[in-house]
Amino acid sequence: MYDVTRPEAELDPSEIKFAARKVQVFYGADQAIKDVDIDIQDKTVTSFIGPSGCGKSTFLRCLNRMNDTIDICRIEGEIKLDGQDIYARSVDPVQLRAKVGMVFQKPNPFPKSIYDNVAYGPKIHGMARKKADLDEVVETALRDAGLWGEVKDRLDTPGTGLSGGQQQRLCIARAVATRPEVLLMDEPCSALDPIATAQIEELIDKLRAQYSVVIVTHSMQQAGRISQKTAFFHLGNLVEYGDTDTIFTNPQDPRTESYITGRIG
Amino acid sequence: MNSQHIVSSFDQDLEGLQARLMKMGGQVETALGNAIKALETRDLELSQQVRQGDKAIDAMDEEIRAETARVLALRSPAAGDLRTVLSVMTISTHLERCGDYAKNIAKRTTVLVEASPINGTVPALRRMVRMVEAMLADALDAYIQRDAEKADDVRTRDLEVDQMYNTLFRSLLTHMMEDPRNITACMHLHFIAKNIERMGDHATSIAEQTIYLVTGEMPDEDRPKGDTTAYNAPDGEAI
Repeated sequence: MYDVTRPEAELDPSEIKFAARKVQVFYGADQAIKDVDIDIQDKTVTSFIGPSGCGKSTFLRCLNRMNDTIDICRIEGEIKLDGQDIYARSVDPVQLRAKVGMVFQKPNPFPKSIYDNVAYGPKIHGMARKKADLDEVVETALRDAGLWGEVKDRLDTPGTGLSGGQQQRLCIARAVATRPEVLLMDEPCSALDPIATAQIEELIDKLRAQYSVVIVTHSMQQAGRISQKTAFFHLGNLVEYGDTDTIFTNPQDPRTESYITGRIG
Repeated sequence: MNSQHIVSSFDQDLEGLQARLMKMGGQVETALGNAIKALETRDLELSQQVRQGDKAIDAMDEEIRAETARVLALRSPAAGDLRTVLSVMTISTHLERCGDYAKNIAKRTTVLVEASPINGTVPALRRMVRMVEAMLADALDAYIQRDAEKADDVRTRDLEVDQMYNTLFRSLLTHMMEDPRNITACMHLHFIAKNIERMGDHATSIAEQTIYLVTGEMPDEDRPKGDTTAYNAPDGEAI
């Protein structure tokens, strides 16, 4: 008599950044992603959660064609960014990745100065003609990443000399320097201490005003703290997708419940 | 959720909380039973025992509150676990209030033993208590069995308690109008009736927490309510 089913989280078409339909991913003969349909909302933080090997990182990497670099990887189905198929022949993956930036689990600054780390993307994408323009792009990116105040007096020192949390914010600055529309983050805090984590989380919350953020995280609390939407993946399936507060208070699928409450599934 | 947590001490925490809540529920049921028995048998010693016993009920509420705070802080429960912890906290508060009502009945009994009995009133109170006792027991059973249907049944039974209270209210008004010397006793008996009626409401709230725990949603507010005495004039006419 108590109907616990609810309609799927429905989005206004104008708010949809990514629309994925019937996405399947294979590594050789192994299927990593099975028939995933998902609409990812613009100007929103979306968390992908699920046990290791569930396909969440694989799916994240499909969103900016990072899987293209893996020879045995094959992708079927359709992923549209602002209505455009990102796997269409006419799409240049390099241009796509300028629009859809990525931050990885371990901070991976280039072995260059702080300045050059951030300036690299804008340079290769021809975003700044003059040194002064480039300076401005670098400063804006470092400010967006909440790092400017800490590094403005030592921009020419190596990026690898920063602390782990600072390095990760440098990588975020590098990712936002090309003015992307979407930021993909694959466990960006897993190598950081709680304070650096809090700084990144605060940053993600601010970035939401300008970007769509999709984040893979193993921390349930982090997903709860920073995201508005949460998607739970299990064995290559998208099991449940909805508002984060619903997923964490009243998930509809027993597999989601088992996972987020730490039970043997 | 039948399966166990990977971290078994989390299961122990949740089980411990619920075991304490059930123990507290048992103490409240005993307090109510003893309070009405003390009134029926004019047993001052028993009523004193009920008043003393309320301290233990209050202490259990405090303990449960501290333990839920600890579990929330240390375990960050989610989904069904979160609802379990929240419902334990809420139900504990309802039980604590029920304990206060039982204590209040016992207090008023010390005055009533000095007064002459009002015809038919105590047996009517006893019938109300029997209803409410069953509601409390069933609400707690439904909770521990995660039985939303059973909890919903408890909700519907509150109407009957309200109606018994209305009848008693009118009868007490009549007694007071017939002979002003009855007023003191009738006032106390009325408060006792109201206490029992309120305990029915708390049992209903406990049942609603069970529905929330099982389904994730609070039931609609549209359950039938029967306490109409707020609209009654002394002549028994509705205002």
